[in-house]
Amino acid sequence: MASLPELQARFAAALRGNASPMEPDVVGDGLEAAGRLDIYRNNSRAVFEGALERTYPVLRRRVGEDYFRQLAHGYRQRFPSRSGDLHGVGEHFARHLAGTEAESGYAWLAELAELEWACECAFVAAREQPVGPQALAGLTPDELALTRLRLQPSLRGVSSSFPVLDVWRANQPDADGHAVDLARGGQCVLVSCGVDGLELVEVSAAALAFTQQLQAGAPLGSAVDESGLDLAELPGLLGMLFSGSLVTGVTGPAMEGAPK
Amino acid sequence: MSSSPTANSSGPVPAGAGIGLRSAHHEALVRERPAVGWIEVHTENYFHDGGPHLTALERAREAYPLSLHGVGMGLGSVDPIDRSHLARVARAIERFEPALVSEHACWGSHDGENFNDLLPLPYTDEAVVHLADRVAEVQDLLGRQILIENLSCYLSYSSSRLTEWEFLAAVVERAGCGLLLDVNNAYVNSVNVGLDAKAFIDGLPAGAVQEIHLAGHTRRQVGERTILLDDHGSRVPEAVWRLYEHAIARLGAVPTLIEWDTNVPDLSVLVDEAARAQRRLDGVRGLAA
Repeated sequence: MASLPELQARFAAALRGNASPMEPDVVGDGLEAAGRLDIYRNNSRAVFEGALERTYPVLRRRVGEDYFRQLAHGYRQRFPSRSGDLHGVGEHFARHLAGTEAESGYAWLAELAELEWACECAFVAAREQPVGPQALAGLTPDELALTRLRLQPSLRGVSSSFPVLDVWRANQPDADGHAVDLARGGQCVLVSCGVDGLELVEVSAAALAFTQQLQAGAPLGSAVDESGLDLAELPGLLGMLFSGSLVTGVTGPAMEGAPK
Repeated sequence: MSSSPTANSSGPVPAGAGIGLRSAHHEALVRERPAVGWIEVHTENYFHDGGPHLTALERAREAYPLSLHGVGMGLGSVDPIDRSHLARVARAIERFEPALVSEHACWGSHDGENFNDLLPLPYTDEAVVHLADRVAEVQDLLGRQILIENLSCYLSYSSSRLTEWEFLAAVVERAGCGLLLDVNNAYVNSVNVGLDAKAFIDGLPAGAVQEIHLAGHTRRQVGERTILLDDHGSRVPEAVWRLYEHAIARLGAVPTLIEWDTNVPDLSVLVDEAARAQRRLDGVRGLAA
Protein backbone atom coordinates (compact mmCIF):
# COMPACT_ATOMS: atom_id res chain seq x y z
CA MET A 1 0.00 0.00 0.00
CA ALA A 2 1.37 3.39 -0.99
CA SER A 3 2.19 5.74 1.86
CA LEU A 4 0.65 9.23 1.83
CA PRO A 5 3.89 10.85 0.56
CA GLU A 6 4.21 8.24 -2.18
CA LEU A 7 0.60 8.65 -3.22
CA GLN A 8 0.84 12.44 -3.42
CA ALA A 9 4.12 12.21 -5.36
CA ARG A 10 2.51 9.91 -7.95
CA PHE A 11 -0.65 12.01 -8.15
CA ALA A 12 1.43 15.18 -8.60
CA ALA A 13 3.45 13.53 -11.37
CA ALA A 14 0.22 12.63 -13.14
CA LEU A 15 -1.02 16.22 -12.81
CA ARG A 16 2.23 17.45 -14.31
CA GLY A 17 1.58 15.20 -17.28
CA ASN A 18 4.30 12.71 -16.48
CA ALA A 19 3.71 9.00 -16.84
CA SER A 20 2.50 7.96 -13.42
CA PRO A 21 1.63 4.39 -12.46
CA MET A 22 -1.54 5.12 -10.50
CA GLU A 23 -3.71 2.28 -11.78
CA PRO A 24 -3.11 0.16 -8.63
CA ASP A 25 -3.89 3.17 -6.40
CA VAL A 26 -7.24 4.13 -7.89
CA VAL A 27 -10.58 2.31 -7.87
CA GLY A 28 -11.76 2.12 -11.49
CA ASP A 29 -15.52 1.55 -11.24
CA GLY A 30 -16.31 2.14 -14.89
CA LEU A 31 -13.62 4.73 -15.56
CA GLU A 32 -9.93 3.89 -15.42
CA ALA A 33 -7.45 5.85 -13.32
CA ALA A 34 -6.10 7.79 -16.30
CA GLY A 35 -9.58 9.09 -17.14
CA ARG A 36 -10.23 10.12 -13.55
CA LEU A 37 -6.84 11.83 -13.26
CA ASP A 38 -7.57 13.67 -16.52
CA ILE A 39 -10.44 15.43 -14.75
CA TYR A 40 -8.07 16.73 -12.08
CA ARG A 41 -5.41 17.64 -14.64
CA ASN A 42 -7.97 19.63 -16.63
CA ASN A 43 -9.34 21.29 -13.49
CA SER A 44 -5.90 22.37 -12.37
CA ARG A 45 -5.02 23.70 -15.81
CA ALA A 46 -8.35 25.54 -16.15
CA VAL A 47 -8.04 27.12 -12.72
CA PHE A 48 -4.54 28.40 -13.56
CA GLU A 49 -5.65 29.72 -16.95
CA GLY A 50 -8.74 31.32 -15.43
CA ALA A 51 -6.64 33.16 -12.87
CA LEU A 52 -4.24 34.33 -15.57
CA GLU A 53 -7.14 35.45 -17.73
CA ARG A 54 -8.64 37.49 -14.89
CA THR A 55 -5.31 39.28 -14.48
CA TYR A 56 -4.73 39.78 -18.21
CA PRO A 57 -8.19 40.34 -19.76
CA VAL A 58 -6.92 42.76 -22.42
CA LEU A 59 -4.14 40.46 -23.54
CA ARG A 60 -6.60 37.57 -23.61
CA ARG A 61 -9.02 39.59 -25.76
CA ARG A 62 -6.29 40.64 -28.19
CA VAL A 63 -4.75 37.22 -28.79
CA GLY A 64 -7.92 35.11 -28.61
CA GLU A 65 -8.73 32.02 -26.57
CA ASP A 66 -6.54 29.48 -28.34
CA TYR A 67 -3.35 31.51 -28.39
CA PHE A 68 -3.89 32.68 -24.83
CA ARG A 69 -4.21 29.06 -23.78
CA GLN A 70 -0.91 28.27 -25.53
CA LEU A 71 0.76 31.19 -23.79
CA ALA A 72 -0.66 30.13 -20.42
CA HIS A 73 0.53 26.55 -20.94
CA GLY A 74 4.08 27.63 -21.74
CA TYR A 75 4.08 30.06 -18.84
CA ARG A 76 2.83 27.45 -16.38
CA GLN A 77 5.56 25.03 -17.45
CA ARG A 78 8.15 27.62 -16.51
CA PHE A 79 6.37 29.35 -13.63
CA PRO A 80 3.97 26.90 -11.96
CA SER A 81 1.82 28.17 -9.14
CA ARG A 82 3.65 28.24 -5.81
CA SER A 83 0.78 29.49 -3.68
CA GLY A 84 -2.72 28.55 -2.62
CA ASP A 85 -3.65 32.15 -3.44
CA LEU A 86 -4.09 32.44 -7.20
CA HIS A 87 -3.93 36.21 -7.34
CA GLY A 88 -0.16 36.19 -7.74
CA VAL A 89 0.20 33.55 -10.46
CA GLY A 90 0.58 36.18 -13.17
CA GLU A 91 3.52 37.93 -11.52
CA HIS A 92 6.13 36.71 -14.00
CA PHE A 93 3.99 36.70 -17.14
CA ALA A 94 5.52 39.85 -18.66
CA ARG A 95 9.04 38.56 -18.10
CA HIS A 96 8.08 35.20 -19.59
CA LEU A 97 6.53 36.83 -22.67
CA ALA A 98 9.53 39.11 -23.09
CA GLY A 99 11.62 35.98 -23.45
CA THR A 100 9.32 33.90 -25.64
CA GLU A 101 7.59 36.46 -27.83
CA ALA A 102 10.47 38.83 -28.58
CA GLU A 103 11.15 37.32 -31.99
CA SER A 104 7.57 36.39 -32.80
CA GLY A 105 6.15 39.68 -33.98
CA TYR A 106 4.26 39.87 -30.69
CA ALA A 107 6.93 41.70 -28.73
CA TRP A 108 4.32 44.21 -27.58
CA LEU A 109 2.53 41.50 -25.59
CA ALA A 110 5.17 41.63 -22.85
CA GLU A 111 4.67 45.38 -22.44
CA LEU A 112 0.90 44.99 -22.41
CA ALA A 113 1.31 42.32 -19.73
CA GLU A 114 3.49 44.69 -17.73
CA LEU A 115 0.71 47.30 -17.84
CA GLU A 116 -1.96 44.78 -16.83
CA TRP A 117 0.20 43.50 -13.96
CA ALA A 118 0.59 47.12 -12.78
CA CYS A 119 -3.22 47.36 -12.85
CA GLU A 120 -3.53 44.16 -10.82
CA CYS A 121 -1.06 45.43 -8.21
CA ALA A 122 -2.68 48.86 -8.03
CA PHE A 123 -6.14 47.36 -7.63
CA VAL A 124 -5.26 45.48 -4.44
CA ALA A 125 -2.87 47.99 -2.83
CA ALA A 126 -3.55 49.73 0.45
CA ARG A 127 -5.17 53.15 0.18
CA GLU A 128 -3.86 55.87 2.46
CA GLN A 129 -5.59 59.08 3.44
CA PRO A 130 -4.67 61.74 0.84
CA VAL A 131 -3.46 65.25 1.69
CA GLY A 132 -4.33 68.38 -0.27
CA PRO A 133 -2.04 70.88 -2.03
CA GLN A 134 -2.42 73.31 0.88
CA ALA A 135 0.34 71.25 2.50
CA LEU A 136 2.74 73.07 0.18
CA ALA A 137 1.25 76.53 0.75
CA GLY A 138 3.64 79.22 1.91
CA LEU A 139 6.81 77.27 1.23
CA THR A 140 9.72 79.19 -0.21
CA PRO A 141 11.32 77.81 -3.39
CA ASP A 142 14.25 76.51 -1.33
CA GLU A 143 11.93 74.78 1.13
CA LEU A 144 9.91 73.35 -1.74
CA ALA A 145 13.03 71.86 -3.33
CA LEU A 146 13.80 70.00 -0.09
CA THR A 147 10.24 68.77 0.40
CA ARG A 148 9.38 65.10 -0.04
CA LEU A 149 5.98 63.79 -1.14
CA ARG A 150 4.67 60.41 -0.07
CA LEU A 151 2.52 58.86 -2.80
CA GLN A 152 -0.31 56.31 -2.68
CA PRO A 153 0.99 52.72 -2.42
CA SER A 154 -1.17 51.83 -5.42
CA LEU A 155 0.72 54.15 -7.79
CA ARG A 156 2.66 52.31 -10.49
CA GLY A 157 4.59 53.59 -13.48
CA VAL A 158 4.93 51.77 -16.80
CA SER A 159 7.05 52.79 -19.76
CA SER A 160 6.60 51.03 -23.09
CA SER A 161 7.96 51.17 -26.61
CA PHE A 162 4.53 50.26 -28.00
CA PRO A 163 1.27 52.21 -27.44
CA VAL A 164 0.01 49.78 -24.79
CA LEU A 165 -2.27 52.29 -23.08
CA ASP A 166 -4.14 52.80 -26.35
CA VAL A 167 -4.42 49.03 -26.71
CA TRP A 168 -5.63 48.76 -23.12
CA ARG A 169 -8.29 51.44 -23.63
CA ALA A 170 -9.49 49.96 -26.91
CA ASN A 171 -10.03 46.60 -25.22
CA GLN A 172 -11.97 47.50 -22.10
CA PRO A 173 -15.27 45.60 -21.73
CA ASP A 174 -17.31 48.53 -23.06
CA ALA A 175 -14.87 49.40 -25.89
CA ASP A 176 -15.03 48.18 -29.47
CA GLY A 177 -11.60 46.53 -29.53
CA HIS A 178 -10.52 48.54 -32.57
CA ALA A 179 -7.04 47.93 -33.95
CA VAL A 180 -4.29 50.20 -32.66
CA ASP A 181 -1.37 51.18 -34.88
CA LEU A 182 1.49 49.58 -32.99
CA ALA A 183 4.02 51.65 -34.93
CA ARG A 184 2.66 54.79 -33.29
CA GLY A 185 5.39 54.69 -30.64
CA GLY A 186 5.68 54.15 -26.91
CA GLN A 187 3.72 55.52 -23.98
CA CYS A 188 4.42 56.29 -20.32
CA VAL A 189 1.58 55.52 -17.97
CA LEU A 190 0.77 56.17 -14.33
CA VAL A 191 -1.55 53.53 -12.90
CA SER A 192 -3.39 53.97 -9.61
CA CYS A 193 -6.57 52.81 -7.93
CA GLY A 194 -8.97 55.19 -6.25
CA VAL A 195 -12.34 54.64 -4.62
CA ASP A 196 -13.92 54.37 -8.07
CA GLY A 197 -11.43 51.87 -9.43
CA LEU A 198 -8.40 51.99 -11.71
CA GLU A 199 -7.05 55.25 -13.12
CA LEU A 200 -4.59 55.17 -16.03
CA VAL A 201 -3.02 58.44 -17.15
CA GLU A 202 -0.53 59.00 -19.96
CA VAL A 203 2.36 61.22 -18.92
CA SER A 204 5.65 62.33 -20.44
CA ALA A 205 8.76 60.21 -19.92
CA ALA A 206 10.19 62.94 -17.69
CA ALA A 207 6.99 63.09 -15.62
CA LEU A 208 7.13 59.31 -15.13
CA ALA A 209 10.79 59.51 -14.10
CA PHE A 210 9.99 62.41 -11.73
CA THR A 211 7.18 60.41 -10.09
CA GLN A 212 9.44 57.41 -9.69
CA GLN A 213 12.06 59.66 -8.09
CA LEU A 214 9.43 60.81 -5.58
CA GLN A 215 8.47 57.21 -4.88
CA ALA A 216 12.12 56.44 -4.20
CA GLY A 217 12.13 59.18 -1.56
CA ALA A 218 13.85 61.99 -3.45
CA PRO A 219 12.93 65.58 -2.53
CA LEU A 220 11.19 67.64 -5.19
CA GLY A 221 14.33 69.52 -6.24
CA SER A 222 16.49 66.52 -6.93
CA ALA A 223 13.52 64.65 -8.46
CA VAL A 224 13.27 67.46 -11.02
CA ASP A 225 17.03 67.43 -11.63
CA GLU A 226 17.30 63.66 -11.94
CA SER A 227 14.26 63.24 -14.17
CA GLY A 228 14.98 66.16 -16.48
CA LEU A 229 11.45 67.42 -15.95
CA ASP A 230 10.76 70.76 -17.59
CA LEU A 231 9.90 73.13 -14.73
CA ALA A 232 6.97 74.40 -16.78
CA GLU A 233 5.49 70.90 -16.46
CA LEU A 234 5.86 70.78 -12.67
CA PRO A 235 2.73 72.70 -11.55
CA GLY A 236 0.47 70.65 -13.79
CA LEU A 237 2.02 67.37 -12.69
CA LEU A 238 1.81 68.23 -8.99
CA GLY A 239 -1.76 69.38 -9.57
CA MET A 240 -2.60 66.02 -11.12
CA LEU A 241 -1.01 64.11 -8.25
CA PHE A 242 -2.92 66.14 -5.64
CA SER A 243 -6.25 66.20 -7.49
CA GLY A 244 -5.96 62.46 -8.06
CA SER A 245 -5.64 61.97 -4.27
CA LEU A 246 -2.24 60.40 -4.94
CA VAL A 247 -0.26 62.41 -2.37
CA THR A 248 -0.54 61.03 1.14
CA GLY A 249 2.20 62.88 2.99
CA VAL A 250 4.41 65.95 2.77
CA THR A 251 7.65 66.21 4.72
CA GLY A 252 10.46 68.70 4.67
CA PRO A 253 12.49 71.13 6.71
CA ALA A 254 9.53 73.48 7.09
CA MET A 255 7.45 70.67 8.62
CA GLU A 256 10.27 69.52 10.94
CA GLY A 257 10.17 66.12 9.27
CA ALA A 258 6.67 65.32 10.41
CA PRO A 259 4.17 63.97 7.89
CA LYS A 260 1.26 66.29 7.25
CA MET B 1 -37.45 34.91 4.95
CA SER B 2 -37.35 35.11 8.68
CA SER B 3 -33.89 36.53 9.25
CA SER B 4 -33.08 40.23 9.24
CA PRO B 5 -29.99 41.32 7.34
CA THR B 6 -29.15 44.03 9.84
CA ALA B 7 -30.00 42.37 13.12
CA ASN B 8 -26.82 40.62 14.11
CA SER B 9 -23.90 41.40 11.82
CA SER B 10 -21.24 40.91 14.48
CA GLY B 11 -22.76 37.84 16.12
CA PRO B 12 -22.70 34.17 15.18
CA VAL B 13 -23.90 32.94 11.83
CA PRO B 14 -27.61 32.26 12.32
CA ALA B 15 -29.09 28.83 11.67
CA GLY B 16 -30.63 30.18 8.50
CA ALA B 17 -29.77 30.44 4.83
CA GLY B 18 -26.93 32.57 3.50
CA ILE B 19 -25.22 33.15 0.19
CA GLY B 20 -21.67 32.99 -1.08
CA LEU B 21 -20.64 36.53 -1.95
CA ARG B 22 -18.64 36.93 -5.16
CA SER B 23 -17.21 40.20 -6.49
CA ALA B 24 -19.86 40.38 -9.22
CA HIS B 25 -22.42 40.97 -6.46
CA HIS B 26 -20.49 43.35 -4.19
CA GLU B 27 -22.36 46.42 -5.36
CA ALA B 28 -25.80 44.82 -5.59
CA LEU B 29 -25.56 43.30 -2.11
CA VAL B 30 -24.73 46.60 -0.44
CA ARG B 31 -27.33 48.46 -2.50
CA GLU B 32 -30.20 45.99 -2.20
CA ARG B 33 -29.46 44.47 1.22
CA PRO B 34 -31.37 41.27 0.41
CA ALA B 35 -32.92 39.36 3.28
CA VAL B 36 -30.38 36.58 3.62
CA GLY B 37 -29.13 35.51 7.01
CA TRP B 38 -25.39 35.69 6.40
CA ILE B 39 -22.67 35.73 3.78
CA GLU B 40 -19.54 33.71 3.06
CA VAL B 41 -16.51 34.63 0.96
CA HIS B 42 -13.40 32.82 -0.19
CA THR B 43 -10.73 33.95 2.24
CA GLU B 44 -8.01 34.20 -0.43
CA ASN B 45 -9.99 36.85 -2.32
CA TYR B 46 -9.47 39.23 0.61
CA PHE B 47 -5.80 38.67 1.35
CA HIS B 48 -4.69 42.02 -0.02
CA ASP B 49 -3.68 45.27 1.62
CA GLY B 50 -6.60 47.25 0.21
CA GLY B 51 -8.64 47.97 -2.87
CA PRO B 52 -12.30 48.12 -3.85
CA HIS B 53 -13.00 44.46 -3.02
CA LEU B 54 -11.83 44.84 0.57
CA THR B 55 -13.85 48.02 0.92
CA ALA B 56 -16.90 46.24 -0.47
CA LEU B 57 -16.55 43.38 2.00
CA GLU B 58 -16.11 45.80 4.88
CA ARG B 59 -19.41 47.42 3.89
CA ALA B 60 -21.16 44.07 3.46
CA ARG B 61 -19.74 42.98 6.80
CA GLU B 62 -21.55 45.86 8.49
CA ALA B 63 -24.87 44.32 7.48
CA TYR B 64 -24.32 40.55 7.57
CA PRO B 65 -22.63 37.94 9.75
CA LEU B 66 -19.65 36.56 7.85
CA SER B 67 -17.98 33.22 7.25
CA LEU B 68 -14.47 32.96 5.76
CA HIS B 69 -14.06 29.88 3.58
CA GLY B 70 -10.53 28.99 2.52
CA VAL B 71 -9.73 27.11 -0.64
CA GLY B 72 -5.95 27.31 -0.74
CA MET B 73 -4.40 25.89 2.39
CA GLY B 74 -4.20 22.27 1.23
CA LEU B 75 -4.16 21.06 4.81
CA GLY B 76 -3.57 17.42 3.91
CA SER B 77 -0.51 18.09 1.73
CA VAL B 78 2.70 16.36 2.78
CA ASP B 79 4.39 19.66 1.88
CA PRO B 80 4.90 21.87 4.93
CA ILE B 81 2.10 24.23 5.91
CA ASP B 82 2.50 27.50 3.99
CA ARG B 83 3.11 29.88 6.89
CA SER B 84 2.76 33.01 4.80
CA HIS B 85 -0.63 31.81 3.53
CA LEU B 86 -1.69 31.06 7.07
CA ALA B 87 -0.51 34.49 8.23
CA ARG B 88 -2.74 36.08 5.61
CA VAL B 89 -5.69 33.96 6.78
CA ALA B 90 -4.98 35.24 10.29
CA ARG B 91 -4.88 38.81 9.03
CA ALA B 92 -8.23 38.37 7.23
CA ILE B 93 -9.71 36.95 10.44
CA GLU B 94 -8.43 39.91 12.41
CA ARG B 95 -9.74 42.36 9.82
CA PHE B 96 -13.21 40.91 9.24
CA GLU B 97 -13.94 39.08 12.51
CA PRO B 98 -15.82 36.19 10.89
CA ALA B 99 -18.19 34.02 12.88
CA LEU B 100 -17.00 30.90 11.07
CA VAL B 101 -13.71 29.90 9.43
CA SER B 102 -13.49 26.83 7.23
CA GLU B 103 -11.20 24.87 4.91
CA HIS B 104 -11.23 21.53 3.12
CA ALA B 105 -10.22 17.93 3.88
CA CYS B 106 -7.82 17.89 0.98
CA TRP B 107 -4.26 18.27 -0.21
CA GLY B 108 -3.11 20.69 -2.91
CA SER B 109 0.63 21.05 -3.32
CA HIS B 110 3.63 18.83 -3.88
CA ASP B 111 7.29 19.76 -3.77
CA GLY B 112 6.37 23.44 -3.71
CA GLU B 113 4.08 23.38 -6.74
CA ASN B 114 0.49 24.26 -5.92
CA PHE B 115 -2.17 22.68 -8.12
CA ASN B 116 -4.83 25.08 -6.80
CA ASP B 117 -7.32 22.27 -6.62
CA LEU B 118 -8.97 20.34 -3.81
CA LEU B 119 -7.26 16.96 -4.18
CA PRO B 120 -8.58 13.88 -2.37
CA LEU B 121 -6.89 12.10 0.51
CA PRO B 122 -6.98 8.34 1.03
CA TYR B 123 -9.19 7.33 3.94
CA THR B 124 -6.47 5.70 5.99
CA ASP B 125 -5.28 5.96 9.58
CA GLU B 126 -2.09 7.57 8.29
CA ALA B 127 -4.07 10.31 6.52
CA VAL B 128 -6.31 10.83 9.57
CA VAL B 129 -3.28 11.51 11.74
CA HIS B 130 -1.62 13.71 9.14
CA LEU B 131 -4.69 15.84 8.40
CA ALA B 132 -5.89 16.05 12.00
CA ASP B 133 -2.48 17.12 13.27
CA ARG B 134 -2.28 19.80 10.56
CA VAL B 135 -5.78 21.02 11.41
CA ALA B 136 -4.89 21.11 15.11
CA GLU B 137 -1.71 23.06 14.34
CA VAL B 138 -3.66 25.59 12.26
CA GLN B 139 -6.28 25.93 14.99
CA ASP B 140 -3.54 26.58 17.54
CA LEU B 141 -1.94 29.20 15.33
CA LEU B 142 -5.25 30.91 14.54
CA GLY B 143 -6.45 30.62 18.11
CA ARG B 144 -9.84 29.28 17.10
CA GLN B 145 -11.68 26.26 15.84
CA ILE B 146 -12.06 25.76 12.11
CA LEU B 147 -14.52 23.66 10.12
CA ILE B 148 -13.38 21.07 7.60
CA GLU B 149 -15.44 20.44 4.47
CA ASN B 150 -15.96 17.11 2.74
CA LEU B 151 -14.72 17.13 -0.86
CA SER B 152 -16.28 16.33 -4.17
CA CYS B 153 -14.21 13.52 -5.67
CA TYR B 154 -13.52 12.11 -9.11
CA LEU B 155 -11.62 9.12 -7.80
CA SER B 156 -11.26 6.97 -4.71
CA TYR B 157 -8.15 5.13 -3.57
CA SER B 158 -7.77 1.41 -3.30
CA SER B 159 -5.76 2.01 -0.12
CA SER B 160 -8.73 3.53 1.75
CA ARG B 161 -9.63 1.39 4.73
CA LEU B 162 -12.17 3.75 6.28
CA THR B 163 -15.40 5.14 4.88
CA GLU B 164 -15.44 8.87 4.19
CA TRP B 165 -17.60 9.50 7.25
CA GLU B 166 -15.36 7.38 9.47
CA PHE B 167 -12.38 9.33 8.17
CA LEU B 168 -13.97 12.72 8.90
CA ALA B 169 -15.24 11.60 12.31
CA ALA B 170 -11.73 10.46 13.24
CA VAL B 171 -10.25 13.79 12.13
CA VAL B 172 -12.86 15.66 14.19
CA GLU B 173 -12.12 13.54 17.24
CA ARG B 174 -8.34 13.92 16.99
CA ALA B 175 -8.20 17.60 15.98
CA GLY B 176 -11.22 18.99 17.80
CA CYS B 177 -12.37 20.75 14.65
CA GLY B 178 -15.92 21.15 13.35
CA LEU B 179 -17.40 19.99 10.05
CA LEU B 180 -18.82 21.78 7.05
CA LEU B 181 -21.13 19.35 5.29
CA ASP B 182 -21.34 19.97 1.56
CA VAL B 183 -24.49 18.10 0.57
CA ASN B 184 -23.85 18.61 -3.13
CA ASN B 185 -20.39 17.06 -2.74
CA ALA B 186 -21.90 14.02 -1.04
CA TYR B 187 -24.35 13.64 -3.91
CA VAL B 188 -21.60 14.13 -6.53
CA ASN B 189 -19.53 11.46 -4.78
CA SER B 190 -22.47 9.05 -4.77
CA VAL B 191 -22.35 9.12 -8.58
CA ASN B 192 -18.59 9.52 -9.11
CA VAL B 193 -17.19 7.08 -6.54
CA GLY B 194 -20.23 5.16 -5.31
CA LEU B 195 -20.61 6.85 -1.92
CA ASP B 196 -23.79 5.99 -0.02
CA ALA B 197 -24.71 9.64 0.51
CA LYS B 198 -27.39 9.05 3.15
CA ALA B 199 -25.15 6.70 5.11
CA PHE B 200 -22.43 9.35 4.85
CA ILE B 201 -24.68 12.01 6.36
CA ASP B 202 -26.01 9.62 8.99
CA GLY B 203 -22.48 8.58 9.94
CA LEU B 204 -21.07 12.04 10.58
CA PRO B 205 -20.76 13.17 14.20
CA ALA B 206 -23.91 15.31 14.28
CA GLY B 207 -22.72 17.76 16.90
CA ALA B 208 -19.69 18.65 14.79
CA VAL B 209 -21.61 19.86 11.73
CA GLN B 210 -21.83 23.62 12.05
CA GLU B 211 -22.47 24.58 8.44
CA ILE B 212 -23.95 23.13 5.26
CA HIS B 213 -23.15 23.98 1.63
CA LEU B 214 -25.54 23.62 -1.28
CA ALA B 215 -24.69 24.10 -4.95
CA GLY B 216 -25.29 22.86 -8.46
CA HIS B 217 -23.21 20.51 -10.57
CA THR B 218 -22.87 19.51 -14.21
CA ARG B 219 -23.44 16.02 -15.61
CA ARG B 220 -20.84 14.82 -18.12
CA GLN B 221 -20.36 11.58 -19.99
CA VAL B 222 -16.77 10.31 -19.89
CA GLY B 223 -16.62 7.23 -22.07
CA GLU B 224 -19.26 4.86 -20.72
CA ARG B 225 -19.31 6.57 -17.34
CA THR B 226 -21.43 9.46 -16.06
CA ILE B 227 -19.40 11.89 -13.99
CA LEU B 228 -20.76 14.86 -12.08
CA LEU B 229 -18.55 17.93 -12.16
CA ASP B 230 -18.82 20.04 -9.03
CA ASP B 231 -18.78 23.37 -10.87
CA HIS B 232 -21.13 25.44 -8.68
CA GLY B 233 -22.63 26.83 -11.85
CA SER B 234 -26.37 26.18 -11.62
CA ARG B 235 -29.32 25.94 -9.26
CA VAL B 236 -29.36 23.24 -6.61
CA PRO B 237 -30.72 20.08 -8.31
CA GLU B 238 -33.79 18.33 -6.92
CA ALA B 239 -31.79 15.27 -5.87
CA VAL B 240 -29.52 17.52 -3.77
CA TRP B 241 -32.52 19.24 -2.18
CA ARG B 242 -33.85 15.82 -1.17
CA LEU B 243 -30.51 14.89 0.34
CA TYR B 244 -30.44 18.24 2.14
CA GLU B 245 -33.87 17.52 3.62
CA HIS B 246 -32.50 14.20 4.86
CA ALA B 247 -29.51 16.02 6.36
CA ILE B 248 -31.43 18.67 8.28
CA ALA B 249 -33.98 16.11 9.44
CA ARG B 250 -31.05 14.45 11.21
CA LEU B 251 -28.89 17.46 12.06
CA GLY B 252 -31.57 20.07 12.75
CA ALA B 253 -31.43 23.65 11.48
CA VAL B 254 -27.79 24.26 10.53
CA PRO B 255 -26.53 27.47 8.84
CA THR B 256 -26.83 26.71 5.14
CA LEU B 257 -25.04 28.41 2.28
CA ILE B 258 -25.86 28.69 -1.40
CA GLU B 259 -22.60 28.56 -3.39
CA TRP B 260 -22.36 29.75 -6.99
CA ASP B 261 -18.95 30.22 -8.60
CA THR B 262 -19.25 29.79 -12.37
CA ASN B 263 -21.80 31.33 -14.73
CA VAL B 264 -22.72 33.57 -11.82
CA PRO B 265 -26.31 34.83 -12.29
CA ASP B 266 -28.05 37.91 -10.89
CA LEU B 267 -27.96 38.23 -7.14
CA SER B 268 -31.72 37.67 -7.08
CA VAL B 269 -31.24 34.06 -8.22
CA LEU B 270 -28.95 33.31 -5.28
CA VAL B 271 -31.38 35.02 -2.92
CA ASP B 272 -34.18 32.88 -4.36
CA GLU B 273 -32.14 29.71 -3.82
CA ALA B 274 -31.42 30.82 -0.25
CA ALA B 275 -35.17 31.31 0.28
CA ARG B 276 -35.73 27.70 -0.80
CA ALA B 277 -33.22 26.51 1.77
CA GLN B 278 -34.73 28.80 4.40
CA ARG B 279 -38.21 27.32 3.87
CA ARG B 280 -36.80 23.86 4.51
CA LEU B 281 -34.97 25.08 7.63
CA ASP B 282 -38.19 26.72 8.86
CA GLY B 283 -39.93 23.39 8.30
CA VAL B 284 -37.39 21.61 10.49
CA ARG B 285 -37.79 24.25 13.19
CA GLY B 286 -41.57 23.85 12.97
CA LEU B 287 -41.25 20.11 13.54
CA ALA B 288 -38.94 20.71 16.48
CA ALA B 289 -41.25 23.27 18.11
